[in-house]
Amino acid sequence: MAIVQPGKRPSKRLARSKVLGGKIGGGRRVTNAELNVVPMVDMMTMLVIFLLQQYSATGEVLYMQKDIRLPDARHGQMIEQAPTVAISVEQVVVAGQKVADVADLDRDAGYLNIPALEEKLREDKKRWEFIHQSDPNRKWDGIVNIQADQKVPFRIVKRVMYSCGVAGYFNLNFAALDVGSGSAAAQAPSP
Amino acid sequence: MSGGSMPEQGGGGKKKKKALDANINVVPAIDLLSCCIAFLLYTAVWTQISRLQVQQLGTGAPEQALAERQQKALAVTLAVGERGMALLVGDSSYDIPPLGRSPEGVVLQDLKTLNTRLKAVKGEFPDQGSIIVTAEDTVPYGDLVHVIDACLAVGLMQVSVSGV
Repeated sequence: MAIVQPGKRPSKRLARSKVLGGKIGGGRRVTNAELNVVPMVDMMTMLVIFLLQQYSATGEVLYMQKDIRLPDARHGQMIEQAPTVAISVEQVVVAGQKVADVADLDRDAGYLNIPALEEKLREDKKRWEFIHQSDPNRKWDGIVNIQADQKVPFRIVKRVMYSCGVAGYFNLNFAALDVGSGSAAAQAPSP
Repeated sequence: MSGGSMPEQGGGGKKKKKALDANINVVPAIDLLSCCIAFLLYTAVWTQISRLQVQQLGTGAPEQALAERQQKALAVTLAVGERGMALLVGDSSYDIPPLGRSPEGVVLQDLKTLNTRLKAVKGEFPDQGSIIVTAEDTVPYGDLVHVIDACLAVGLMQVSVSGV
Protein backbone atom coordinates (compact mmCIF):
# COMPACT_ATOMS: atom_id res chain seq x y z
CA MET A 1 0.00 0.00 0.00
CA ALA A 2 1.75 3.05 -1.22
CA ILE A 3 1.66 6.27 0.68
CA VAL A 4 1.93 9.17 -1.72
CA GLN A 5 3.82 12.18 -0.55
CA PRO A 6 1.74 15.30 -0.90
CA GLY A 7 2.94 17.93 -3.33
CA LYS A 8 2.75 19.07 -6.93
CA ARG A 9 1.94 16.46 -9.54
CA PRO A 10 2.70 17.67 -13.06
CA SER A 11 1.07 16.05 -16.04
CA LYS A 12 3.11 13.59 -18.08
CA ARG A 13 3.74 16.10 -20.86
CA LEU A 14 4.96 18.72 -18.39
CA ALA A 15 7.08 16.20 -16.53
CA ARG A 16 8.86 15.33 -19.80
CA SER A 17 9.58 19.00 -20.48
CA LYS A 18 13.28 19.86 -20.27
CA VAL A 19 12.57 23.33 -19.01
CA LEU A 20 9.87 22.76 -16.39
CA GLY A 21 10.00 19.04 -15.77
CA GLY A 22 12.87 19.09 -13.29
CA LYS A 23 11.57 22.02 -11.30
CA ILE A 24 7.97 20.94 -10.97
CA GLY A 25 8.55 17.24 -10.66
CA GLY A 26 11.25 17.68 -8.07
CA GLY A 27 13.60 15.32 -9.82
CA ARG A 28 13.13 11.57 -9.83
CA ARG A 29 12.85 10.97 -6.15
CA VAL A 30 10.87 7.95 -5.10
CA THR A 31 7.64 9.10 -3.60
CA ASN A 32 6.53 5.69 -2.34
CA ALA A 33 7.10 5.22 1.38
CA GLU A 34 6.71 1.91 3.14
CA LEU A 35 4.91 1.90 6.43
CA ASN A 36 5.94 -0.76 8.90
CA VAL A 37 2.69 -2.10 10.31
CA VAL A 38 4.19 -5.01 12.26
CA PRO A 39 4.11 -3.17 15.65
CA MET A 40 0.49 -2.23 15.01
CA VAL A 41 -0.45 -5.84 14.27
CA ASP A 42 1.40 -6.92 17.43
CA MET A 43 -0.46 -4.40 19.50
CA MET A 44 -3.81 -5.39 18.04
CA THR A 45 -3.09 -9.06 18.71
CA MET A 46 -2.32 -8.28 22.34
CA LEU A 47 -5.54 -6.27 22.58
CA VAL A 48 -7.57 -9.14 21.14
CA ILE A 49 -6.03 -11.59 23.64
CA PHE A 50 -6.76 -9.26 26.56
CA LEU A 51 -10.34 -8.66 25.44
CA LEU A 52 -10.91 -12.37 24.88
CA GLN A 53 -10.03 -12.91 28.54
CA GLN A 54 -12.69 -10.37 29.52
CA TYR A 55 -15.29 -11.98 27.28
CA SER A 56 -18.27 -13.61 28.92
CA ALA A 57 -20.61 -15.82 26.93
CA THR A 58 -23.53 -15.10 29.24
CA GLY A 59 -23.14 -11.38 28.83
CA GLU A 60 -23.88 -8.90 31.56
CA VAL A 61 -26.70 -10.36 33.67
CA LEU A 62 -26.64 -7.71 36.36
CA TYR A 63 -25.88 -4.11 35.62
CA MET A 64 -23.91 -2.16 38.17
CA GLN A 65 -25.87 0.78 39.44
CA LYS A 66 -24.44 3.97 40.83
CA ASP A 67 -26.35 3.80 44.10
CA ILE A 68 -25.62 0.13 44.81
CA ARG A 69 -22.25 -0.97 46.16
CA LEU A 70 -22.09 -4.74 46.21
CA PRO A 71 -20.14 -6.60 48.92
CA ASP A 72 -17.24 -8.86 47.99
CA ALA A 73 -17.40 -12.65 47.92
CA ARG A 74 -14.78 -15.26 47.12
CA HIS A 75 -16.80 -18.42 46.76
CA GLY A 76 -19.72 -17.39 44.60
CA GLN A 77 -20.92 -19.14 41.49
CA MET A 78 -21.50 -17.73 38.05
CA ILE A 79 -24.64 -15.64 38.01
CA GLU A 80 -27.50 -16.71 35.80
CA GLN A 81 -30.38 -15.06 34.05
CA ALA A 82 -33.32 -14.50 36.42
CA PRO A 83 -35.55 -11.65 37.59
CA THR A 84 -33.48 -9.18 39.56
CA VAL A 85 -34.57 -7.21 42.59
CA ALA A 86 -32.24 -4.26 43.16
CA ILE A 87 -32.25 -2.73 46.65
CA SER A 88 -30.43 0.53 47.10
CA VAL A 89 -30.35 2.63 50.25
CA GLU A 90 -33.33 4.58 48.94
CA GLN A 91 -35.54 2.31 46.83
CA VAL A 92 -36.44 -1.19 45.68
CA VAL A 93 -36.42 -1.72 41.92
CA VAL A 94 -37.50 -4.69 39.80
CA ALA A 95 -36.59 -4.73 36.12
CA GLY A 96 -35.97 -1.01 36.13
CA GLN A 97 -39.32 -0.24 37.77
CA LYS A 98 -39.49 1.17 41.29
CA VAL A 99 -41.76 -0.87 43.53
CA ALA A 100 -41.08 0.64 46.95
CA ASP A 101 -39.20 3.29 48.88
CA VAL A 102 -36.94 2.05 51.64
CA ALA A 103 -38.12 4.88 53.91
CA ASP A 104 -41.73 3.75 53.42
CA LEU A 105 -40.77 0.17 54.18
CA ASP A 106 -39.11 1.30 57.40
CA ARG A 107 -42.29 3.17 58.32
CA ASP A 108 -44.52 0.13 57.69
CA ALA A 109 -42.42 -2.13 59.85
CA GLY A 110 -45.49 -4.10 60.97
CA TYR A 111 -45.94 -5.73 57.56
CA LEU A 112 -43.63 -8.31 56.10
CA ASN A 113 -44.59 -8.33 52.45
CA ILE A 114 -44.20 -5.69 49.72
CA PRO A 115 -47.41 -5.84 47.63
CA ALA A 116 -46.05 -4.06 44.53
CA LEU A 117 -43.02 -6.37 44.43
CA GLU A 118 -45.20 -9.44 44.84
CA GLU A 119 -47.45 -8.32 42.01
CA LYS A 120 -44.54 -7.67 39.67
CA LEU A 121 -42.94 -11.02 40.42
CA ARG A 122 -46.26 -12.83 39.98
CA GLU A 123 -46.59 -11.21 36.56
CA ASP A 124 -43.12 -12.47 35.66
CA LYS A 125 -44.01 -15.94 36.86
CA LYS A 126 -47.24 -15.98 34.84
CA ARG A 127 -45.30 -14.88 31.76
CA TRP A 128 -42.78 -17.67 32.32
CA GLU A 129 -45.57 -20.25 32.70
CA PHE A 130 -47.26 -18.99 29.53
CA ILE A 131 -44.02 -19.21 27.55
CA HIS A 132 -43.21 -22.70 28.82
CA GLN A 133 -46.76 -24.14 28.82
CA SER A 134 -45.96 -26.40 25.87
CA ASP A 135 -42.74 -27.62 27.46
CA PRO A 136 -43.68 -30.04 30.27
CA ASN A 137 -40.03 -31.01 30.88
CA ARG A 138 -39.18 -27.51 32.00
CA LYS A 139 -39.87 -27.15 35.72
CA TRP A 140 -40.29 -23.91 37.58
CA ASP A 141 -37.05 -23.23 39.43
CA GLY A 142 -38.14 -20.06 41.25
CA ILE A 143 -34.79 -18.31 41.02
CA VAL A 144 -34.50 -14.62 41.74
CA ASN A 145 -31.38 -12.46 41.98
CA ILE A 146 -31.18 -10.01 44.84
CA GLN A 147 -28.76 -7.17 44.24
CA ALA A 148 -28.53 -5.03 47.35
CA ASP A 149 -26.25 -2.31 48.60
CA GLN A 150 -23.89 -3.54 51.29
CA LYS A 151 -25.34 -1.09 53.83
CA VAL A 152 -28.96 -2.12 53.37
CA PRO A 153 -30.20 -3.58 56.67
CA PHE A 154 -31.49 -7.13 56.81
CA ARG A 155 -35.01 -5.97 57.76
CA ILE A 156 -35.42 -4.65 54.20
CA VAL A 157 -33.78 -7.70 52.60
CA LYS A 158 -36.01 -9.92 54.75
CA ARG A 159 -39.15 -8.25 53.43
CA VAL A 160 -37.93 -8.62 49.87
CA MET A 161 -37.13 -12.28 50.52
CA TYR A 162 -40.57 -12.85 52.01
CA SER A 163 -42.30 -11.20 49.05
CA CYS A 164 -40.24 -13.30 46.64
CA GLY A 165 -41.21 -16.46 48.53
CA VAL A 166 -44.90 -15.56 48.51
CA ALA A 167 -44.73 -14.89 44.75
CA GLY A 168 -43.19 -18.31 44.17
CA TYR A 169 -39.51 -17.39 44.00
CA PHE A 170 -37.93 -19.42 46.77
CA ASN A 171 -34.41 -19.86 45.36
CA LEU A 172 -32.55 -16.69 46.16
CA ASN A 173 -29.25 -15.61 44.70
CA PHE A 174 -27.46 -12.90 46.62
CA ALA A 175 -25.33 -10.89 44.22
CA ALA A 176 -21.77 -10.03 45.19
CA LEU A 177 -18.63 -8.83 43.50
CA ASP A 178 -16.49 -11.79 42.61
CA VAL A 179 -12.99 -11.39 44.01
CA GLY A 180 -12.18 -15.09 43.88
CA SER A 181 -9.97 -15.01 40.83
CA GLY A 182 -8.06 -11.97 42.11
CA SER A 183 -7.40 -13.52 45.50
CA ALA A 184 -6.36 -16.79 43.92
CA ALA A 185 -3.87 -14.92 41.79
CA ALA A 186 -2.58 -13.07 44.84
CA GLN A 187 -2.16 -16.29 46.81
CA ALA A 188 -0.42 -18.09 43.96
CA PRO A 189 3.25 -18.67 44.69
CA SER A 190 5.57 -16.42 42.78
CA PRO A 191 8.14 -18.19 40.58
CA MET B 1 3.97 -2.97 3.22
CA SER B 2 5.75 -5.17 5.61
CA GLY B 3 7.25 -8.31 4.37
CA GLY B 4 9.03 -11.24 5.82
CA SER B 5 12.61 -11.32 4.60
CA MET B 6 14.83 -14.35 4.47
CA PRO B 7 18.61 -14.31 4.32
CA GLU B 8 20.05 -14.54 0.85
CA GLN B 9 21.87 -17.73 0.25
CA GLY B 10 25.55 -17.27 -0.38
CA GLY B 11 27.61 -18.91 -3.08
CA GLY B 12 28.91 -17.88 -6.39
CA GLY B 13 26.59 -19.65 -8.75
CA LYS B 14 26.34 -18.33 -12.23
CA LYS B 15 22.60 -18.57 -12.46
CA LYS B 16 20.69 -15.55 -11.32
CA LYS B 17 18.83 -16.64 -8.21
CA LYS B 18 15.25 -15.80 -7.45
CA ALA B 19 14.68 -13.23 -4.76
CA LEU B 20 13.71 -14.93 -1.54
CA ASP B 21 11.91 -11.93 -0.12
CA ALA B 22 8.16 -12.34 -0.08
CA ASN B 23 5.67 -9.64 0.60
CA ILE B 24 2.83 -10.69 2.84
CA ASN B 25 -0.28 -8.61 2.63
CA VAL B 26 -1.30 -7.94 6.21
CA VAL B 27 -4.23 -5.68 5.38
CA PRO B 28 -6.84 -8.50 5.77
CA ALA B 29 -5.27 -9.45 9.08
CA ILE B 30 -5.55 -5.87 10.30
CA ASP B 31 -9.17 -5.72 9.12
CA LEU B 32 -9.98 -8.94 10.96
CA LEU B 33 -8.26 -7.80 14.14
CA SER B 34 -10.06 -4.46 14.01
CA CYS B 35 -13.42 -6.22 13.74
CA CYS B 36 -12.46 -8.55 16.60
CA ILE B 37 -11.44 -5.64 18.81
CA ALA B 38 -14.66 -3.75 18.11
CA PHE B 39 -16.78 -6.84 18.86
CA LEU B 40 -14.88 -7.80 22.00
CA LEU B 41 -14.91 -4.24 23.34
CA TYR B 42 -18.66 -4.17 22.90
CA THR B 43 -19.27 -7.52 24.61
CA ALA B 44 -16.61 -7.33 27.33
CA VAL B 45 -17.84 -7.72 30.92
CA TRP B 46 -15.74 -5.54 33.18
CA THR B 47 -17.40 -6.31 36.51
CA GLN B 48 -17.49 -9.94 37.57
CA ILE B 49 -20.60 -10.50 39.65
CA SER B 50 -21.14 -13.81 41.37
CA ARG B 51 -24.09 -15.28 43.21
CA LEU B 52 -24.44 -16.91 46.60
CA GLN B 53 -27.36 -19.30 46.44
CA VAL B 54 -29.49 -19.47 49.56
CA GLN B 55 -32.84 -20.88 50.56
CA GLN B 56 -35.22 -19.05 52.80
CA LEU B 57 -36.89 -20.65 55.75
CA GLY B 58 -40.52 -20.16 56.63
CA THR B 59 -41.79 -18.76 53.33
CA GLY B 60 -42.05 -19.91 49.78
CA ALA B 61 -42.15 -23.53 48.74
CA PRO B 62 -38.79 -25.17 49.35
CA GLU B 63 -38.39 -28.67 48.01
CA GLN B 64 -39.67 -31.31 50.36
CA ALA B 65 -36.56 -33.42 49.87
CA LEU B 66 -34.39 -30.56 51.03
CA ALA B 67 -36.49 -30.02 54.15
CA GLU B 68 -36.34 -33.72 54.97
CA ARG B 69 -32.58 -33.75 54.40
CA GLN B 70 -32.16 -30.81 56.74
CA GLN B 71 -34.25 -32.52 59.40
CA LYS B 72 -32.11 -35.66 59.23
CA ALA B 73 -28.81 -33.76 59.29
CA LEU B 74 -27.23 -32.18 62.32
CA ALA B 75 -28.71 -28.76 63.06
CA VAL B 76 -26.04 -26.11 62.58
CA THR B 77 -27.29 -22.59 63.13
CA LEU B 78 -25.37 -19.36 62.96
CA ALA B 79 -26.98 -16.33 64.55
CA VAL B 80 -25.64 -12.94 63.46
CA GLY B 81 -26.44 -9.78 65.35
CA GLU B 82 -25.28 -6.65 67.11
CA ARG B 83 -23.56 -8.67 69.83
CA GLY B 84 -21.52 -10.74 67.40
CA MET B 85 -22.22 -14.24 66.23
CA ALA B 86 -23.30 -17.45 67.91
CA LEU B 87 -22.69 -20.81 66.31
CA LEU B 88 -25.02 -23.56 67.51
CA VAL B 89 -23.96 -27.09 66.62
CA GLY B 90 -26.44 -29.59 67.98
CA ASP B 91 -26.51 -28.87 71.69
CA SER B 92 -23.25 -26.98 71.93
CA SER B 93 -22.87 -23.28 71.38
CA TYR B 94 -19.89 -21.06 70.51
CA ASP B 95 -19.98 -17.30 70.89
CA ILE B 96 -17.94 -15.19 68.50
CA PRO B 97 -17.77 -11.64 69.88
CA PRO B 98 -17.43 -8.73 67.44
CA LEU B 99 -14.11 -7.01 66.82
CA GLY B 100 -15.63 -3.65 67.64
CA ARG B 101 -17.37 -0.94 65.73
CA SER B 102 -16.33 1.04 62.71
CA PRO B 103 -16.23 4.87 62.90
CA GLU B 104 -19.66 4.81 61.24
CA GLY B 105 -21.04 2.70 64.08
CA VAL B 106 -21.31 -0.55 62.15
CA VAL B 107 -20.48 -3.75 64.03
CA LEU B 108 -17.30 -5.42 62.74
CA GLN B 109 -17.86 -9.18 62.78
CA ASP B 110 -14.94 -11.50 63.49
CA LEU B 111 -14.94 -13.50 60.25
CA LYS B 112 -11.56 -15.14 60.89
CA THR B 113 -12.75 -16.78 64.10
CA LEU B 114 -15.97 -17.76 62.38
CA ASN B 115 -13.97 -19.40 59.61
CA THR B 116 -11.89 -21.33 62.14
CA ARG B 117 -15.03 -22.47 64.01
CA LEU B 118 -16.77 -23.53 60.84
CA LYS B 119 -13.68 -25.46 59.72
CA ALA B 120 -13.64 -27.27 63.04
CA VAL B 121 -17.33 -28.15 62.66
CA LYS B 122 -16.78 -29.37 59.12
CA GLY B 123 -13.78 -31.40 60.30
CA GLU B 124 -15.86 -32.99 63.03
CA PHE B 125 -18.88 -33.63 60.81
CA PRO B 126 -17.59 -34.04 57.25
CA ASP B 127 -21.01 -35.06 55.89
CA GLN B 128 -22.63 -31.90 57.15
CA GLY B 129 -23.56 -29.72 54.18
CA SER B 130 -26.28 -27.44 55.45
CA ILE B 131 -26.41 -24.47 57.78
CA ILE B 132 -29.10 -22.05 58.87
CA VAL B 133 -28.10 -18.40 59.11
CA THR B 134 -30.36 -16.19 61.18
CA ALA B 135 -29.79 -12.47 61.18
CA GLU B 136 -31.09 -9.60 63.22
CA ASP B 137 -32.88 -6.76 61.49
CA THR B 138 -29.94 -4.38 61.82
CA VAL B 139 -27.35 -6.64 60.20
CA PRO B 140 -26.16 -5.04 56.95
CA TYR B 141 -26.44 -7.00 53.70
CA GLY B 142 -22.64 -6.83 53.34
CA ASP B 143 -22.08 -8.68 56.62
CA LEU B 144 -24.69 -11.28 55.71
CA VAL B 145 -22.96 -11.94 52.40
CA HIS B 146 -19.56 -12.26 54.12
CA VAL B 147 -20.99 -14.76 56.61
CA ILE B 148 -22.61 -16.82 53.83
CA ASP B 149 -19.34 -16.67 51.91
CA ALA B 150 -17.51 -18.04 54.98
CA CYS B 151 -20.02 -20.92 55.16
CA LEU B 152 -19.52 -21.74 51.48
CA ALA B 153 -15.74 -21.57 51.94
CA VAL B 154 -15.72 -24.51 54.34
CA GLY B 155 -18.12 -26.60 52.25
CA LEU B 156 -21.47 -25.86 53.87
CA MET B 157 -23.15 -25.39 50.52
CA GLN B 158 -26.83 -25.45 51.52
CA VAL B 159 -27.32 -22.17 53.27
CA SER B 160 -30.75 -21.23 54.54
CA VAL B 161 -31.44 -17.68 55.66
CA SER B 162 -34.11 -16.49 58.01
CA GLY B 163 -34.86 -13.61 60.32
CA VAL B 164 -34.69 -13.82 64.07
